[in-house]
Amino acid sequence: SISKSNSLRTSLLLVALLVSHMLLTKEGVTSLPICPKGSVSCQLSLEELFDRAVKLSHYIHFLSSEIFNEFDERYAQGRGFIAKAVNSCHTASLTTPEDKEQAQQIHHEDLLNLILGVLRSWNDPLIHLASEVQRIKEAPETILWKAVEIEEQNKRLLEGMEKIVGRVHSGVVENDIYTPWDGLPSLQLADEDSRLFAFYNLLHCLRRDSHKIDNYLKVLKCRLIHDNNC
Amino acid sequence: MPVIFLGVSQSYPGKPQIIRCRSLEKETFSCWWKPGSDGGLPNNYTLFYSKDSEEKIYECPDYLTSGPNSCYFNKNHTNPWTTYIITVMATNEIGSNTSDPQHVDVTSIVQPDAPVNLSLETNTSANMSHLWAKWSPPPLADAGFNSHVYHYELRLKPEEKEEWETISVGMQTHYEMTSLQAGVKYIVQVRCMLDLGEWSEWSSERSIQVPKERLPPEKPRIMKCRSPEKETFTCWWKPALDGGLSTNHTLLYSKEGEEKVYECPDYKTAGPNSCYFDKKHTSFWTIYNITVRATNEMGSNVSDPHYVDVTYIVQPDPPVNITLELKKSIQRKPYLVLTWSPPPLADVRSGWLTLEYELRLKPEEGEEWETIFVGQQTQYKMFSLNPGKRYIIQIHCKPDHHGLWSEWSPEMYIEIPTDFRAKDMAVWIIVGVLSSLICLVMSWIMIMKGYRMMAFILPPVPGPKIKGIDTHLLETGKSEELLSALGCHGFPPTSDCEELLIEYLEVEDSEDQQLMPSHDTPSKNTKIILKETDSDSGRGSCDSPSLLPVKCRESHSLPSVLQTQDVRAKEKKGGKGIWETQCMASEQKTLPCNSESIKSCTWLAAQLPSNQAAMFAYHSTVEAFKITLNTTNVNTSPVLVGNEENRQSLYPIAETAYDDMEKISEMEYSRSDQTMVQVRQNQQNDNSPFLNPKLMDYVEVHKVRQDEEPTLLLKHKENSGKTKKCTLTGTSKEYTKVSTVVDHHILVLLPDQRTQNTPVSQEPVAETSQNPQQSQTEKNSSYSTTAPSDSRRDTSGSDYMDPSSFMPSFK
Repeated sequence: SISKSNSLRTSLLLVALLVSHMLLTKEGVTSLPICPKGSVSCQLSLEELFDRAVKLSHYIHFLSSEIFNEFDERYAQGRGFIAKAVNSCHTASLTTPEDKEQAQQIHHEDLLNLILGVLRSWNDPLIHLASEVQRIKEAPETILWKAVEIEEQNKRLLEGMEKIVGRVHSGVVENDIYTPWDGLPSLQLADEDSRLFAFYNLLHCLRRDSHKIDNYLKVLKCRLIHDNNC
Repeated sequence: MPVIFLGVSQSYPGKPQIIRCRSLEKETFSCWWKPGSDGGLPNNYTLFYSKDSEEKIYECPDYLTSGPNSCYFNKNHTNPWTTYIITVMATNEIGSNTSDPQHVDVTSIVQPDAPVNLSLETNTSANMSHLWAKWSPPPLADAGFNSHVYHYELRLKPEEKEEWETISVGMQTHYEMTSLQAGVKYIVQVRCMLDLGEWSEWSSERSIQVPKERLPPEKPRIMKCRSPEKETFTCWWKPALDGGLSTNHTLLYSKEGEEKVYECPDYKTAGPNSCYFDKKHTSFWTIYNITVRATNEMGSNVSDPHYVDVTYIVQPDPPVNITLELKKSIQRKPYLVLTWSPPPLADVRSGWLTLEYELRLKPEEGEEWETIFVGQQTQYKMFSLNPGKRYIIQIHCKPDHHGLWSEWSPEMYIEIPTDFRAKDMAVWIIVGVLSSLICLVMSWIMIMKGYRMMAFILPPVPGPKIKGIDTHLLETGKSEELLSALGCHGFPPTSDCEELLIEYLEVEDSEDQQLMPSHDTPSKNTKIILKETDSDSGRGSCDSPSLLPVKCRESHSLPSVLQTQDVRAKEKKGGKGIWETQCMASEQKTLPCNSESIKSCTWLAAQLPSNQAAMFAYHSTVEAFKITLNTTNVNTSPVLVGNEENRQSLYPIAETAYDDMEKISEMEYSRSDQTMVQVRQNQQNDNSPFLNPKLMDYVEVHKVRQDEEPTLLLKHKENSGKTKKCTLTGTSKEYTKVSTVVDHHILVLLPDQRTQNTPVSQEPVAETSQNPQQSQTEKNSSYSTTAPSDSRRDTSGSDYMDPSSFMPSFK
């Protein structure tokens, strides 16, 4: 009976393989080669680059919102952090569009540079956030995981944005837009309330800036790729 | 008589009716009546009364005091301990009419008049508003004399409200009310009651305005802020209680990063108690700190601050331009295509706002909504809607990250047309269900009357059977004797078929006929057999060799059913390949025999060399013995069949042969005369003379079954005329005793020496009939017999019984 069942299993496997093979061949494995033969420059289209960037920024903002909400629920209830958090993001010195009109009026290259600037400004704090968040008392795994994930995805988005900027820019890429972050000591404060507020504020700013970036990218995508007709 | 004529239009008065009698203060009382018709003439009304204590009748003492159609009884005429019987008589020129009498007990008709002279006065001191009410007791006819004590009640309500608040005042004629709402106009009434009787009517209304409070307003509260399109936003607040004083509300806000405090730019656009922030005043990623200040002449109060980042308060309007369209797919199944547009305010083209949509639907009569999130697309196809149902569909939307879902769009209705195909399908389903039902019923009947039906299709085996093997001989282990009795020589000492179970030995003598068929073997029986054999991997192979040839030929074309059965039966044997090899091995031996048309050649092969000739038959027999011996721990040396290979090759085949018997009989036996002998063997108590060499010629050992009492069944397939011949055979050495002759063609033989046990199963024989076409019957029937147990043997799981006993004969 063992051999029987084995043979049965084998035959099932064969059938499955056969079917899947048929399906695959039928589908034709449609993904085109990234570099078609004869193409001189092998690169993604700008649309593709924007698609990816938007997806990534969307994801990063999703994570940022989640991590902020989790933190808020767990550590910030009844502490009035929101009132204190006003006007204290380290990227506040970057003048970014604050409404639709401003976002539409700013030149796309400037906006791209601003996005790059914001992304770069977050490199440092995100690294520290990912490590310092481990020290929060009883920090749930979901928060720890998201901090690491955001840091990684932010780097990827930065890479992608540099690629886009390189493609779009006619002139010189400004590399100097960047605001330093000096908030590490506040994340390591001995006083728990102050320390938690430092985290709260950082996460609050992260949520805001990631949303900014996501929003700007969506606007840019519609402007540059779809001619304002998304 | 003109007078008479005149009198026709005029008549005596109608009956007056006493409406009410009432005492205001227990000391006097009045009665009122309602005149009846006057009969066209002036009437006179007279009130008469009598007292319960006297017979005398009095007339009303005072018709005037209480008004027209009334009578006033003053103190002198009023006695609280007396019941008055009162009637009113109307009189005119023609005649008179008298009311029904009214019985009056003064104490039970007391109801004072309402208090009078109610006056109200307010008095505001400190933060409290007071209301003073004053009134006078009801006036009495005997003015100047009012010593009665009244209880008072007061009721009041704000002018615009319906419900009164009633306050019990006591005996005083004034009352002070507090905790009144400032700025509200109140209405007040009073009424009174003596210590017995009823409450008076409520006095006439008096109203008064309570002055407005002179207090600073309470805290206003910011209710919510909302941005409908991520470009502007509006905040609403709940105004503070103002105490009747006019209060101003001011919205103040400051933006993150700016010290300056601004006032609301637009109080009007969004309606009362709101502030509208237009595009210029709306920034994103900025926290607004918003407060509302309420101010009146007494002071001001400020709401708690409200922190708003416009990014997170976007709540769009519902989607618009919703269209529902039914389309038909290629399979003609209708599906629904929903399309919609984002709310007009939302600018999704620029990418500034990205909306996601969710739709919900339910059948019109349904309770629960099914909600479907559709992401950013503005259309959706729905395939799984039930035809013939009316659906309600709604859509709402939400910004992609934050914000709130919009309201649901207005309900859209769509009726999915009944699909013709669906109807069609329903018909087919019904047909299918019905037919399967019929099938079920049929098969049920078949099972209930299974034998009859099966017998009709597959005629049963003719079942002459001889129980001839002495179980004692088996028990005592004198294998040689046994073997010699069976004419077995060269019994192999060992066998691979250790667990061999042989159902029975079947020997058939057929002159010109095939094996007895048992077509009617109910599937039940077969199953039982298979079950039995399941546990025994080797047994099948030890079954009747008669099947072998067929098996070999058929092995490649066995019906799958058969194969699976086989596989089941011999799980441990594994592959099908075994079959083939075995067949090949056995074929060589069997074929010669088959081709011969000589009498009884088929199995015993008289022409073949003695050892080999009986190979098949012997073989089976040997196996049976061997098993018997094995189980009794006796080693047997005698060999019936020398060729072990052959034996082995045979084993597997027999079992599978059930289903092929028909073919076998056609192919192998149709032209050969055969004698078939069924030998049943019982290891326990039968010592059987197994096979007589002399019998070999016409005896086929069909099957040997372990556990069974050896039985030789001598079968004639011939008609009744042949019986004699059988008898002769039966009386040969071994089976000397004829147990029964049944059906004129079935002979049951018993060995002589066997005195004790081995009951001959007679029923089967009697029942069996022969069908030349189908030899299978025998096997099947013999198998089937294994299921019922013979009371005599406990150890044998399967005892001999003739299957035909279950089967009605159907000649």
